[in-house]
Amino acid sequence: MEPHLELRDVRKAFGHVVAVDTLSMVVSRGTICGLLGPNGAGKTTSIRMIMRISLPDRGSVLLGGEPMTDELRERIGYLPEERGLYRKMKVLEHLEFLGEVRGLERREARRRGAAWLERLGLAEVRSRRVEELSKGMQQKVQFAGAVIHEPEVVILDEPFTGLDPIATRLLKDLILEMRERGTTVLFSTHVLPQAEELCDHLCLINRGRAILQGTMEQARARFARPALLVRSQAPDAAILAVAGIEAVRAHDDQRIAELADGASVAEVIRSLAQALPLEGAEPYRASLEDIFLRAVEEDHVPAA
Amino acid sequence: MFRLRKVAVVIRREYLSRVRTKAFWISTLAFPAVILAFAILPNYLAMRSGGSYTVALVSDDPELSNRTAVQVRERMAQQGDEGGAVVITLREEPLEADGAAQRTRLKREIADKQLSGALFVTRAGVEKGRVEYLTTNTSAWRLMGRLEGSVGAGVRRMRLEGEGVAPERIEALVRGVDVSPVKVGKDLSENQEGVMQSFFLSYILMFLLWMSVMIYGMYVMRGVLEEKSSRIVEVIVGNLSPTELMVGKIAGVGAVGLTQYLIWTLIAINLAVPGLASVVLGATAPTITPAILFFFVLFFVLGYVLYSTFYAALGAAFNSEEEAQQMQSVAGWIIGLPFVLMFPVINNPDSTLAVVFSLIPFFAPVLFFLRISVQTPPVWQTVLCIGLLLATIVAMARFAAAVYRVGILMYGKKPTVKEIIRWMRSS
Repeated sequence: MEPHLELRDVRKAFGHVVAVDTLSMVVSRGTICGLLGPNGAGKTTSIRMIMRISLPDRGSVLLGGEPMTDELRERIGYLPEERGLYRKMKVLEHLEFLGEVRGLERREARRRGAAWLERLGLAEVRSRRVEELSKGMQQKVQFAGAVIHEPEVVILDEPFTGLDPIATRLLKDLILEMRERGTTVLFSTHVLPQAEELCDHLCLINRGRAILQGTMEQARARFARPALLVRSQAPDAAILAVAGIEAVRAHDDQRIAELADGASVAEVIRSLAQALPLEGAEPYRASLEDIFLRAVEEDHVPAA
Repeated sequence: MFRLRKVAVVIRREYLSRVRTKAFWISTLAFPAVILAFAILPNYLAMRSGGSYTVALVSDDPELSNRTAVQVRERMAQQGDEGGAVVITLREEPLEADGAAQRTRLKREIADKQLSGALFVTRAGVEKGRVEYLTTNTSAWRLMGRLEGSVGAGVRRMRLEGEGVAPERIEALVRGVDVSPVKVGKDLSENQEGVMQSFFLSYILMFLLWMSVMIYGMYVMRGVLEEKSSRIVEVIVGNLSPTELMVGKIAGVGAVGLTQYLIWTLIAINLAVPGLASVVLGATAPTITPAILFFFVLFFVLGYVLYSTFYAALGAAFNSEEEAQQMQSVAGWIIGLPFVLMFPVINNPDSTLAVVFSLIPFFAPVLFFLRISVQTPPVWQTVLCIGLLLATIVAMARFAAAVYRVGILMYGKKPTVKEIIRWMRSS
């Protein structure tokens, strides 16, 4: 797939603190890429460097293979982490303004703004002032303002923060629709279920470095150990005592038993059934959260 | 990057979002009302401040007492009834042997409000040229003016008659002479308009200029701070360069200021203000010549651009109004300094002091305009002044753009002077 947005060995330090350290990542055209990482990993700093809000100390950012410039940047729709709108402006006028700033004719900006408000279920607040809207509503307005000019790349910094489940669903649908139209989407989040549902590709960064890049399957293959989902009343210790099981942890009201290297799934299930009163056991498909935790953990305890 | 189309979008937003507020219209309409109220009310009230007064006239000389009383009555008979008459009832009494006791009694009567005051016209006092008036209200200007005039005129008449001048000739002999200034224009025109009026006009215009440059500069700073604190900058910075944003903001807010002037001018032209002005200023209303109006607008625009650019940089460099306060008051002092120099400049607009200070770009908007309104300066000075102003504006704009570019996206940290200088160098 054709690389659309690229970071090459980008580094940014604030004083002695290195926020992003030789980060390289590629977002392919027409895909959704999740930028994941714990708080302070360097997600926002990376995005701000893509947007040229701050410039990298080293390395380069490319859009469509060309070094990023102020002109190229206009092709990106950007929703910053910190929400910001003119509080005293009326909602539709605000969208009109943002549309015009992003290069649309005034009438077209107004038409699209109205259509967006309709789509976001905000049609009836179009003449209200921004400050009268709830935070979630403001966020929707700002999202519309970020993509009103139908940019080829959309960058969303923590887009789901503060949204209720309905708004979250809506936003997910909108992101998927954008991909259908061929838009490239990069979004950052630390809410992993959302990322799991949306991402074609993920980039996990920790302490300013990419520690994992690829598809969900590639991530699983790299970080997830084979494990079983165990339903049983037996205590953890009893499960751990079964041959081939290396670790046990709670998962909802069930337990996840990680298998030792080389242990066979069928073999271990059989042993479990013999050793305990077992209600059920099945292979466990690692979630993004598991991968995330494992990857971050490994990164902090470098393998000797 | 500088694209006029984008700047126009910013100007439109800045302009409409301000002009559409109630606050704009209230302040625009309230200002002339307040100015008129301040100008008219004190005069008006002072004129209406007639009243009845009972004054004890104490003297050790019956003739002196009588002369004074005659003058008081004459003046009372002459006064029209416009603006409320001052009615004075005199109670003549001789100076008693026990002066101290009499004084105490009179003071008690004054304190008890039975008397408005006691005027001691004694021979010794007249000799020294100073007589006493005891009262609780030392600010009854009209009453005291009347008393002073009466005593003076009475004494003068008495002395002249003592020298053998015929009483009927005295009026003609003591009449004074007024000097009335005639302003000569460049075209040798003569203008009899009161100098006082044109002074007032200069003062009001100068004050207006100073105030609007300050206020609109402040609006620019607040706007920048709002954009910073609401993080809106980050939302639009992808599509607007900081320079475009800054220029658009300054132009948009400036247009609001000009709109306000336009409204005021229309009010002044159309409403009863000419009539009111004559009430305020006594005689004919001073006319604002087109030239003065032109220079007023010119110096507003230049002064506003200079200072608002500075204020924009302040807004970009700091995070809150409190932080920016110190620097802000520095700007306030600099632009306010012309008020200290106002009188020397008005007295002698061509003095070295006036010329030098009025050419310094930071003072020029107010001070040079003041000179123009008093006396037309040489053309070369006008050209030099505007040239210097423009050059300073360009330099200030470059400084501000540098600060703006970096500062507007920098949060949380107060910049040091060193950093600001570094930003300037890097631009």
